[in-house]
Amino acid sequence: MTTESTNGGLRVGVFVCDCGSNIAGVVDCAAVAEYAKTLPDVVCVVRNRYTCAEPGQNEIRQAIRQHHLNRVVVASCTPRQHEPTFRQCVLEAGLNPYLMEMANLREHCSWVHQADRAAATAKAMDLVASAVGKARLLQPQEEMSVQVTRTALVIGGGVTGIEAALELAESGHKVVLVEKQPSIGGIMAQLDKTYPTMDCSI
Amino acid sequence: MTATLERFRCMACGHEFQEVVQEDEDKERTCPRCRSNSIRKLKKAAEPAE
Amino acid sequence: MGNFTVTIRKKARYVDPGLCNACAECAKVCPVVTPDEYQMGLSSRRAIYIPFPQAVPSSYVLDMEHCLGNNPVACGKCAEACEKKAISFDDRDQIVTREVGTVVVAIGAEVYDPTEMDDYGYTRFENVITSMEFERLICAGGPTEGHFVRPSDQRQPKRIGFVQCVGSRNPRMGRPWCSNICCMNTVKDTLLLADHYPDTRSVVFYQDIRAFGKSFEDMFQRSKEAGVRYVRGLPGEIHEDPRTHHLIVTVENTTSGKLERHELDMVVLSVGLQPPADLRKISSLLTLSKTSDGFFMEAHPKLRPVDAPTRGVYFAGMCESPKDIKDSVCQAGAAASRAGALLNAGKVTIEAITSRIDEAACTSCGVCVRVCPFGAIQWTKGTPAVVVEAMCAGCGSCAAQCKPGAITMRHFTDEQIVAQVRATLAQRPEEKVFVFACNWCSYAGADMAGISRMQYPASNRVVRTMCSARVSEEMVLEAFRCGAPVVLVSGCHYADCHYINANRQTVKRVQSMWAKLEKAGVRPERLQLEWISAAEGQKFAKVMRQLDELRRTVTPEEIERSRKAFKPKVRRAAAEAATAAPVPGTAT
Repeated sequence: MTTESTNGGLRVGVFVCDCGSNIAGVVDCAAVAEYAKTLPDVVCVVRNRYTCAEPGQNEIRQAIRQHHLNRVVVASCTPRQHEPTFRQCVLEAGLNPYLMEMANLREHCSWVHQADRAAATAKAMDLVASAVGKARLLQPQEEMSVQVTRTALVIGGGVTGIEAALELAESGHKVVLVEKQPSIGGIMAQLDKTYPTMDCSI
Repeated sequence: MTATLERFRCMACGHEFQEVVQEDEDKERTCPRCRSNSIRKLKKAAEPAE
Repeated sequence: MGNFTVTIRKKARYVDPGLCNACAECAKVCPVVTPDEYQMGLSSRRAIYIPFPQAVPSSYVLDMEHCLGNNPVACGKCAEACEKKAISFDDRDQIVTREVGTVVVAIGAEVYDPTEMDDYGYTRFENVITSMEFERLICAGGPTEGHFVRPSDQRQPKRIGFVQCVGSRNPRMGRPWCSNICCMNTVKDTLLLADHYPDTRSVVFYQDIRAFGKSFEDMFQRSKEAGVRYVRGLPGEIHEDPRTHHLIVTVENTTSGKLERHELDMVVLSVGLQPPADLRKISSLLTLSKTSDGFFMEAHPKLRPVDAPTRGVYFAGMCESPKDIKDSVCQAGAAASRAGALLNAGKVTIEAITSRIDEAACTSCGVCVRVCPFGAIQWTKGTPAVVVEAMCAGCGSCAAQCKPGAITMRHFTDEQIVAQVRATLAQRPEEKVFVFACNWCSYAGADMAGISRMQYPASNRVVRTMCSARVSEEMVLEAFRCGAPVVLVSGCHYADCHYINANRQTVKRVQSMWAKLEKAGVRPERLQLEWISAAEGQKFAKVMRQLDELRRTVTPEEIERSRKAFKPKVRRAAAEAATAAPVPGTAT
């Protein structure tokens, strides 16, 4: 489905995921997709059986190229699970990953309103409207990259600090170990035998 | 460290209760009756702390 | 993140560890005698000493606090005795600076001092000792060369009592935590005594024996088989027979319900552990946070157990919570591995959700600096505040609190969130409960409700922010302006806040908003606050049910009132302008 953009270059694509029957078994995904078409700047709506699967991702990438999408809304599951997946997906199609927004139709809707198809569908529509509302204002973002100084500081020279410092040194890192007492060893050095093996502490 | 007796009202169930509050305490508040966290600190303690 | 400059005070040793061969000639001539800390004060050392034979560095050190003096040199005998000329009274503390990329905090814990528990008579009765003193007394390298004797008469005790939970699991003393190691340490001590002195009789007074680790239960059973008596119940008081210096312990055996009287030669107080005194200082240096017991708080109690909330900082060992050697070593390995991964990567990318300050709009009020839990905002009065991006974690406390609206949270802008509020409430808002949920806990808690298929009414509409502290007054008011009957702000429990303590700002804001709503004639109960953890799907579902009931009590008149009660701020115009003319993205 394609309509002409109504607004200065904004082209939003909405991908409604059935998630097999996980979402479509409760939510009327066809109605949600139809509703999405009425939202401002939405130029393309696609229903997928599984958006996260390779065919689903292909449809996103194709639609981005075909419809010159510059915002993407994936109406599927929680972003806590698949946000990295879809960010990568839109990136592969040449879009900045921060131009993708998700609507959580599964964990927050179909799975928790299983007995009320009408209310779940109405809620799903709102969730898509909300995601489109945010997507229209999304801006490309650049992730900052910071150089890491290749030295570790370990504060404390008890058994823990000694062990951590040795591990880091053994894996080839420079380590600075700081201990406030004249000797390392900490509390453990004061113990006689230690459980459960009953061997000496030092 | 000073402690004062404070009055609270649960905005979920309406339950009002008092608690001794340490000056620098950093404590999550929960309604003793309904477990809600919508706990409003009311203006003045009903009586001063000992 | 990734770059720390560390200033270290390298304390003067007055003995060059490169030259010292630990011949001990210096200590032989030192005239100063002072209690030996390593031996828990049970023996003495000199002012020039080696902390213990296996010390690293293997070198003597001069305790200047007790030394008779160096300037003018009043004694100097040690320097004369030293063939290697390793001793220099002119040694001074040095300040050393190091650049590091990651920090592992392993500052340990302190052993509880039972002096304040006078009922046990630790300071009054010589034969009441602590478990740490027991370690020195039974150790071949200890003051008695491993001959286990009691302090009052230097004779080997036959009847020994152990009192558990001294300074642990005692909420009345403000020490409610379990110190983890004391049960097994006592079990170990009883086995040592049974092994070295088969004629001794040990009795252990306890609340619970926590023998939960690998091969611990086996040790506990061995101890019981060795004839050690375990009496469930903690003594109220310990008395001393002044003539024999034997100790009388009266205890209620809570298993039999009977009062028991034990005459013992010696009592060992099994002392607990507490956060070290330095913890506060390290905490403020690295902007770390603590749990209610005062130990360090990890980024996530289950999934990121050695990560500090400050990126690039890791914890290990007892500073996180009391633990035994095995657990300390495990955590040390985990922390080293996490730190090593960061060092190996050589660089880190930061999710582009950080805060930016519009210099032109900033009024230099300094509010953002005060609310930033990470100390990521630099500011001098009179000049615009600046965000250090590498330190910003993106909670949004600053933006929610910025009056002139000079702060933009990238990817979670005011305009974006307001657009979500409006889109969600565009139709039939009176039927909806509007929920702000933080990414880490409440939103995840809602996910958990879904994963667990917990059913609740479909009236709620969730908008995600990174932290509940991101939710500004304007966002809540916008929901009311759009006709929402009920608004919920939800976040992490205090101990779980993923931005150290940003959600305390949420509390402050909601408190002041209740007053504001009330003043405007809007029922303040229509704004609710809940802490819902990522594991609390059940609580999320329950709260949704309650709020659905609440929204049914809100009348159309009330909604009409709250629609009109709050004038939109000027920034709303800016938001609308942004909505009308968005900048296109970067599609190719």
